[in-house]
Amino acid sequence: MHTKEVPNIADEPNTLADVGPRLRRYAAIVGGVALALALISGLFIGDGGKYLLHSYLTSYCFFLSLSLGGLFFVAVQHASRAGWSVSVRRIAEILGGNLPLMALLALPILVPVLLGNGHLYPWVDRAYLDAHPVVAQKTAWLNGWSFAGRCAVYFAIWALMARFFLNGSTKQDEQGGTELTLRMERWSPLALILFALTITCASVDLVMSLSPEWFSTIFGVYYFSGSTVGALATIIVVACLLQRAGRLTHAITVEHYHELGKLLFAFVVFWGYIAFSQYMLIWYANIPEETRYYLARQTGGAGAVVGPWAYVSLLLVAGHLLIPFVGLLSRHVKRNRKLLVGWAVWLLVFHWVDMYWLVMPSLGRPGLPFGFTDVFCILGLGGAYVAGTLWIAGDRRWIAVKDPRMSEALVFENT
Amino acid sequence: MNHDRPSVPETPQVVAGLLAEFDRPETLVAAAARVKAAGYRTWDCHSPFPVHGIDPAMGIRPTILPWLVVGAGTAGVLVALVMQWWTNAVDYPLNISGKPLFSLPANIPVTFELLILFSALTAFLGALALNGLPFFSNPIFSNPRFRRVTNDRFFVSISAADPAFGEEATRAFLQSLDGVAVVEPFHRPAAPPKIPAAFHIAGALAVCMACFPPLLIAYARATKSAKPRIHVWPDMDSQAKYQTQTAHPLFPDRRSMRAGVPGTVAVGRLNADERLYEGKDGEQWVTSVPVEIDAERMRRGKERYEIYCAPCHGLSGEGDGIMAQRALEREEPWVRRSLVDDYAVKLPVGSIFNTIRHGKNTMLPYGAQVPPADRWAIVLYVKALQRAQNATIDDVPEELRDKLQ
Repeated sequence: MHTKEVPNIADEPNTLADVGPRLRRYAAIVGGVALALALISGLFIGDGGKYLLHSYLTSYCFFLSLSLGGLFFVAVQHASRAGWSVSVRRIAEILGGNLPLMALLALPILVPVLLGNGHLYPWVDRAYLDAHPVVAQKTAWLNGWSFAGRCAVYFAIWALMARFFLNGSTKQDEQGGTELTLRMERWSPLALILFALTITCASVDLVMSLSPEWFSTIFGVYYFSGSTVGALATIIVVACLLQRAGRLTHAITVEHYHELGKLLFAFVVFWGYIAFSQYMLIWYANIPEETRYYLARQTGGAGAVVGPWAYVSLLLVAGHLLIPFVGLLSRHVKRNRKLLVGWAVWLLVFHWVDMYWLVMPSLGRPGLPFGFTDVFCILGLGGAYVAGTLWIAGDRRWIAVKDPRMSEALVFENT
Repeated sequence: MNHDRPSVPETPQVVAGLLAEFDRPETLVAAAARVKAAGYRTWDCHSPFPVHGIDPAMGIRPTILPWLVVGAGTAGVLVALVMQWWTNAVDYPLNISGKPLFSLPANIPVTFELLILFSALTAFLGALALNGLPFFSNPIFSNPRFRRVTNDRFFVSISAADPAFGEEATRAFLQSLDGVAVVEPFHRPAAPPKIPAAFHIAGALAVCMACFPPLLIAYARATKSAKPRIHVWPDMDSQAKYQTQTAHPLFPDRRSMRAGVPGTVAVGRLNADERLYEGKDGEQWVTSVPVEIDAERMRRGKERYEIYCAPCHGLSGEGDGIMAQRALEREEPWVRRSLVDDYAVKLPVGSIFNTIRHGKNTMLPYGAQVPPADRWAIVLYVKALQRAQNATIDDVPEELRDKLQ
């Protein structure tokens, strides 16, 4: 029962048409310059770009996951006919709208594979295949053209789904009515099934095949769980930034932050559950072909039982699960915008560390690899991502004003 | 009133409190704030659905249930960890393949489950207890108007037990509230109703019956019996078949365990090649491996050795496997058995084969896990280890000798 007044959101600013183009230019310049610097500093290392490719892939997987998580969020809201999320759903739609840009940014990963450069994915290398007969058995799946072809399929499906939801929702801003909502609800279960299949295969291709001898059937779920944590954290941060810029000040209330905080908390636990499920089975069975993956993340590549990567692994357990678990447990934290945004930023940092932990050990260097190249890759891809997001946003509203469930979202309260 | 409960009007009734009826949730919230301001303590609001804002209007403080749940969840984690540590590492330590006695990853699932169990039970039972449930009979139901509280009406009830209650004054106060539709009393019996004697008898019987199981258990624990134990659910224990060491009516000797018919061999069990299957040549152990020796078989032997033998005998065969290491750490009795010392080197291969198959001293038999071909592969690998561990410089190919120096 709604005893509170429905706020009037018709007159409050809800686009970034004024400051958007300027911010987009800044972001594009920062991104472009940082990517150029990353290229220079990466070539300066003198390993033929191997370090640069790994570093690029780390940050690429990070930003890709934000868009994928956004797409999942949108599809799941439609599938569950959610009312509460209508005032924040457009943020996720715009994040998902970035997926065509992510396809473009995947070229630096795909082109070396097609050119037969095995710096990133060892299975590209003929000599590696000769020395590793087990991986040679997998070449029906792991070969340059089928890899690139699959990536094209993933991005085509993702882009199609993202455009479908974003354009349908934007069109509704003008025409209103329930028809578009019903259409998106009808297709959202299929979208979720396709999403599950594609994100599983994509994470296997892009990340798991860095260690082609190793395999884990839960890997896709692992990447998905982290992606959703990242996307929810991003939605919280973007919502807060928009409100601080005077947009959507009435449309998004403490109740929406509370609800997003609950989801964030749930997916932090889900990530921990999946990460430990993967670890425990491998730890228990103790079979060399499986344990090598964790060994590389424990020894630092130098052969010692405990190396610097062990600290990164433990840091993830603490920073991606235990500390945010305690931090986000309380209702008061989730209803305090400043604290919640603080935890969202914290989790974004650790989501990046998670990607770093997935990708960088396959570099096979002693010690923890981190340097200017990594910073430039984060800034470069981050700049490109922000610019792409603002370009997708353009004159669009950051809220689905004429969604039939808008009034439900505006007076939504947690009981 | 009470037309569907004919027995009730016979008992004398007293006023248990007053009900004020409203038809909108907004007026209920406003009324609640005024009742609170008027200083009443024993009163409540009733509505068909949760009304937002009613808690602050009534002055209800946030529940302590979350703290109870956090406490119970923490207790669950501690109970799980302490229980697993005490049973596995203290009370009954077992050296299993040299694995650590207390190891966090192995104990996380139980810890997680107890965290959930303790939290969920506390949330459920705590919610019941904090709400004063179960509450079998509420006098408020004596007023038939109150039935619409599950449909479309909202009520404030003030109990006669409230120190500020006075029937006329409270009625006047309730009637002064904005939006009030009706103010009516609700009643309770003047004296608490007597519980029928049948209930006392049934209760006493139930208590007596409930004593039987614990008494039976206590009796069984204190005495000894030659009879088989009581099978409450006998389906898995008593199957319609003849078991070992039981009588059989068909055979003259009444034994249900039968030896094979003399002179016959079961299909696939004709292990006639004594050298291959027994490792024997007449009464003597064979001294050469009765299978073909090639690199593939050596690799197979290494793999099988590292799975089945290395935990005790060690990867190099010196008896320094993880079992031995753990036993040494814990100062447990352990006989370290090297496979590469003089004694083992002199053993005929048939004897090693036989030991894998049947075990020896404290070593358990591995015949069930390791088929004959693999046993010979392991024997080959053990011979290779013996050769490697007792090698001289002459065994190293000349072109590699420089690297050793």
